Amino acid sequence: MEIIQLKDYSWTYLNTSGPALKEINLTINEGEFVGIIGPNGAGKTTLAYSMNGLIPGQYHGIKKGEVVVFGKEVEVHERGALQRKVGMVFSDPEAQFTAMTVEDELVFGMENIGMTIPEIRERLDWVTDLTELGPLLNKPPYELSGGQKQRVALGAVLAMSPDVLILDEPTSMLDPISRTRVFNVLEKTKKEKNNTVIVIEHSLERLVPLADRLILLHDGQVILDGPPREFFKEMALLVEKGIEAPGVISFFHQLIEEGYAQGELPLTVDEAAERLDEVFANLNKKA
Amino acid sequence: MNKTLLGYVPDESPIYAIHPFVKLFFLLIVSLFPLFIQAPEWNLLIFFVVIILMAISKVNMSVMKIYVPVAISMGTIILISYTILGGIHPEFYEWFRVFGRPIYWERVRDALVVYCRILPMIATMVFFLSTSRERDIIVAMRSIKIPFVVTYVFAMALRSAGMVLEDFQIVRQAEQARGFTTAGKSLIFKIRQYVMYMIPLFALSLRRSEEFTNALVARGYAFTGEAAKVKRADFVLTHYKFGTSDIIMTTVILGLFIALLVFRFAFGSFGLDTSWITILFSPYK
Repeated sequence: MEIIQLKDYSWTYLNTSGPALKEINLTINEGEFVGIIGPNGAGKTTLAYSMNGLIPGQYHGIKKGEVVVFGKEVEVHERGALQRKVGMVFSDPEAQFTAMTVEDELVFGMENIGMTIPEIRERLDWVTDLTELGPLLNKPPYELSGGQKQRVALGAVLAMSPDVLILDEPTSMLDPISRTRVFNVLEKTKKEKNNTVIVIEHSLERLVPLADRLILLHDGQVILDGPPREFFKEMALLVEKGIEAPGVISFFHQLIEEGYAQGELPLTVDEAAERLDEVFANLNKKA
Repeated sequence: MNKTLLGYVPDESPIYAIHPFVKLFFLLIVSLFPLFIQAPEWNLLIFFVVIILMAISKVNMSVMKIYVPVAISMGTIILISYTILGGIHPEFYEWFRVFGRPIYWERVRDALVVYCRILPMIATMVFFLSTSRERDIIVAMRSIKIPFVVTYVFAMALRSAGMVLEDFQIVRQAEQARGFTTAGKSLIFKIRQYVMYMIPLFALSLRRSEEFTNALVARGYAFTGEAAKVKRADFVLTHYKFGTSDIIMTTVILGLFIALLVFRFAFGSFGLDTSWITILFSPYK
């Protein structure tokens, strides 16, 4: 089922010379895990804000085309109604804190959408468990480490049970361990809830194995869109647009190009290890 | 240890057994006590009672040392204002002279009365801030049904103060990293150069506001409450129970205040006429 549809969508911010997004045609389906990648200034955040209603709600600019979310144009949704269905996690965790303690932060959104106390308690337990924030519930969120802060921000949105979760560079300010923990939460969410998840991310190592589909945005336009294995077949285009594929994928892409390996590209180190055994076996046979 | 607005209080402090409303009630009512008490000894008694309450609450008393210079300078300023800068009053009793200026008994007494009124007020405020977190203040306000939007704006104001200070540090460090320093420069230079801090700080504040607004909208919040169009649950209040001990404490505080008013206005107690300061030092005896 189509959840989000962008039809010939263009957006130009006020007082800027050109559009941030140009004639985008895109469909996001229910339960999909979509990765949006692209260089800085490609329009990724604008695209995310457009799907959540922050654009045009909070920003001035010129809109052309349609952004249809859950069957209605974003502007047609009642105030607050869209945000109940489409949750958003921003790149700077600190900037999105709205409460004094981690617990208050996690329940803030649930209170806003009218959940009852027993419902809040149940979901708080679930999200605390999911994000492993139990020992931090009474702490002020701005005193936590970067990774903990982002897990709080993610948990606060997950607690609202949105049908669609949009994450705008959620790990851009995090160290590798914290990044892994955030992606672990996303992986658990994908398994447990089968939500539609849209992640804008520069770091592809953790995103690619989770994604059902990758979209390359460049200069406000969708350049490439497809499942990860198909997506990375266009390596020359990706390199040209400044995208660095994960090491495993680049390595196997080169092996395939040089005739040492055949078939699909591996997306994870484990897959690559298995495929490498086949490559060595073939080489031994040839030798 | 739990961080409070003015420091840290250990987990085992008995203060956590008290409902935040009682603490706020204590602050609001006990701060009024000195306004109805003239006799310094009674105000000093309140001051010491508050200090004892701080010790019982396991507030780190060594931190209180930082208030001693403040108390001394405040006392000095009050004394100078009332005596040397207090004007000529032939109707008062001239006690002695300093640099040719008459020092009147009544003015010294009044300075002491004012100072002893301020001390317990400050101690009560320090006690409250040392034992309360931002959340406690919010809970106390919501307990008495102050509208959510008011308490929320108040909470965000508390939070933004910290954020502005953090941003100020960031801007200052960034400017210092570029070789900008006011060390060793004149005060005028420093004041003028503060503009260098203020402009980026202002720009940062604007950006913070935008991000914060986006975060609020993304969480389905609207100040009018129209976003959800449903009754808003107040989950934080479920952690606090206004128990029997809280009722007793609130009643005692209120009872003491009423008793104070009755004694003050019906029987003339706590006035200067019966104060030890008059009995011991008055030249009119």
